[in-house]
Amino acid sequence: MTDFDAIVVGSGMTGGWAAKELTERGLRTLVLEAGRPITPERDYVEHKPPWEMPFRGLGDARAVAARQSTQSHSTSFDEWSHVFWTDDADNPYSTPSDRPFHWFRARQVGGKSIIWGRQVYRWSDLDFEANVRDAVAVDWPIRYADLAPWYDHVERFIGVSGRAEGLAQLPDGPFLPPMQFNCVEQHVRDRMQVKFGRDRLLTIGRVAVLTAPHNGRAPCHYCGPCHRGCITRSYFSSVNATLPAARATGRLTLRPFSIVRSLIYDAAKGRVTGVRMIDAKTKTEREYTARVIFLCASALESARILLNSGLANSSGQVGRNLMDHIKWGGANGQFEGWTDRRIIGNRPNGIYVPRFRNVTSRHPDFIRGYGFQGGAGRAGWQAALRAPGIGPAFKARLSQLGPWTMNFGGFGEMLPREENRATLHPTLTDAWGIPTLHIECRWSENELAMHRDMNVAAVELLEAAGANHIEPSSSGPSTPGNTNHEMGTARMGRDPKTSVLNGWNQAWEVPNLFVTDGAAMTSSGCQNPSLTYMALTARACDYAVAQMKRREL
Amino acid sequence: MERRELVRWLVATAGLHALDALAPTDLLALGREVHGSQDPALRALSPHAERTVAAAAERIIPGADVTAFIDKMLADWHTPAERERFLAGLPDLDTRCRTRVGRDFIDCTAADQDAVLTTLDDEVTALRAGSGSAANRHWFAMLKYLTVYGWCTSEPGMRSLGLYPMAGRYDGCAPL
Repeated sequence: MTDFDAIVVGSGMTGGWAAKELTERGLRTLVLEAGRPITPERDYVEHKPPWEMPFRGLGDARAVAARQSTQSHSTSFDEWSHVFWTDDADNPYSTPSDRPFHWFRARQVGGKSIIWGRQVYRWSDLDFEANVRDAVAVDWPIRYADLAPWYDHVERFIGVSGRAEGLAQLPDGPFLPPMQFNCVEQHVRDRMQVKFGRDRLLTIGRVAVLTAPHNGRAPCHYCGPCHRGCITRSYFSSVNATLPAARATGRLTLRPFSIVRSLIYDAAKGRVTGVRMIDAKTKTEREYTARVIFLCASALESARILLNSGLANSSGQVGRNLMDHIKWGGANGQFEGWTDRRIIGNRPNGIYVPRFRNVTSRHPDFIRGYGFQGGAGRAGWQAALRAPGIGPAFKARLSQLGPWTMNFGGFGEMLPREENRATLHPTLTDAWGIPTLHIECRWSENELAMHRDMNVAAVELLEAAGANHIEPSSSGPSTPGNTNHEMGTARMGRDPKTSVLNGWNQAWEVPNLFVTDGAAMTSSGCQNPSLTYMALTARACDYAVAQMKRREL
Repeated sequence: MERRELVRWLVATAGLHALDALAPTDLLALGREVHGSQDPALRALSPHAERTVAAAAERIIPGADVTAFIDKMLADWHTPAERERFLAGLPDLDTRCRTRVGRDFIDCTAADQDAVLTTLDDEVTALRAGSGSAANRHWFAMLKYLTVYGWCTSEPGMRSLGLYPMAGRYDGCAPL
């Protein structure tokens, strides 16, 4: 007899889904979360005004330098949200000195689902067939048809607002009403339609933020900083939606402050029997047993657990093929007009231009493609912070809005490459004595060519829309990891010799072990990946429970 | 007895009758120091510096009331080098006012204060034409930045800018 039917490692984006799906199918499930518990009424801070913060939103520079210098590189790290990111000193890792990798980590109930960007885009067979078409890495063991019903399932539960556009490369879903374009975004959409037809289309971001009441959660009230929490549960996080659903079954046990060191393996049976964990507060070790184990700890943490367990790695692929999305290419421009118009409220969403490179035509410099995210707006007082002048006239200027500007920023696909990998560090351990990772990751020429093209294409879009003062991005490529879309470190495949997981996210060598976070990804697409992780998780849970019921697992 | 010690003694003993013995200028200085020393929150700014910052901020953004914020930033946020640069530069306001009208900045007329501040602001603007980062390092650029930022993130500032309370809705093309 085991302690539980199932153990889920991690309570974030995918752990919450595993908890919900497994408990709803009757499994007594233990969720182990490395970090602290979260109570929205106590821990969410999205409505705290800047004057209640010690540094008015500029952050505790000295504390950040000492304890969170890596985490602070994330765009959603700020004085309010810093409590939702790990302490770098307690959680070290290494990289080659000339090849930084930003490993963003969140240890609390909800994980990174509290601080995620909420953009959700389906993949299509343009993505699932990409590796085999380009003879890159290994083929995905699944196609869009395998995942489509699970995309439906996930989107219906989490609530996704967006516009159906009928694009083959970006399938539509059961959307809630879309968020509004602002004046200039609508203008740019219209002008792009004239110039590019359906080849390059501007749509509103598809976002896991409610625009109508949904499953007992309230619609968005447009306060803006979702990454600080959401007391109305309007955006999807595991704390806001999946964990409460799991709890409602009566079969969920959630144990915070539980750091999984490794899996317990029964070599005779060829199965995992449980996990070894360390209590983060008391530093005491204990074990839990279960019939099936789901690793949902995030791509790099799940790989770390596998490496520390010495399991499921006959292929040698655990930790390899680390991917992120390349960004910081694009452009911005100004628009004359609409000076009598302004934006009211903070829309927690932007626009999206779905991938258009290598969809129907072939780009000479690179394979795959990128999407643009961005938006239009008018600068407020921030633009006058360094402006000349003093006195009442200067004070009045702070209330004036600048011209409308619009920006496009690319998010580009990264190819899986074996040499981009995480390995166990030979000596470095975290504050709990667990060996940590050494990460080596860099862009290949394909990504760098894509990054250069982002500037070219963004300028074309702005020119088509009639912008002036167009400025292509002056930034080099982003630091790998900075997009917070790390994935690929325990890939799915069709052959146990070249992949870690089969088409059900099941470890080839350990049938009762599933890995359903970003580690499972065989390629990276260019879409924000969380929706696909969630759909893969729900699908794997359904499969695992069916197998257990048939006593085949 | 040093003036600072005298002040401490006066405060400690409530010996305010001793004030009769002081010249008017000393009395004025004393009042400032007592006022300053009674604010335990101040950690980077001396009482005189605090009054100077308050007077300058008031001319940059009338009603800004950002002195406590600036003191906090200097004490706990800026690097020691930045803090020293600011504190070493601030007496320049007095130097310029003394050259101009023979009085400290805080004792100048509003018109004289504005003239001195505008000269400094122009100097920063001229620097900015060459290098933004050089301009930002100027102590006056620090003072002005902290004043503007402090005002725009204060409750009265955000109310006056129409940023608080929040609208609770979204309209992407509303009339101005």
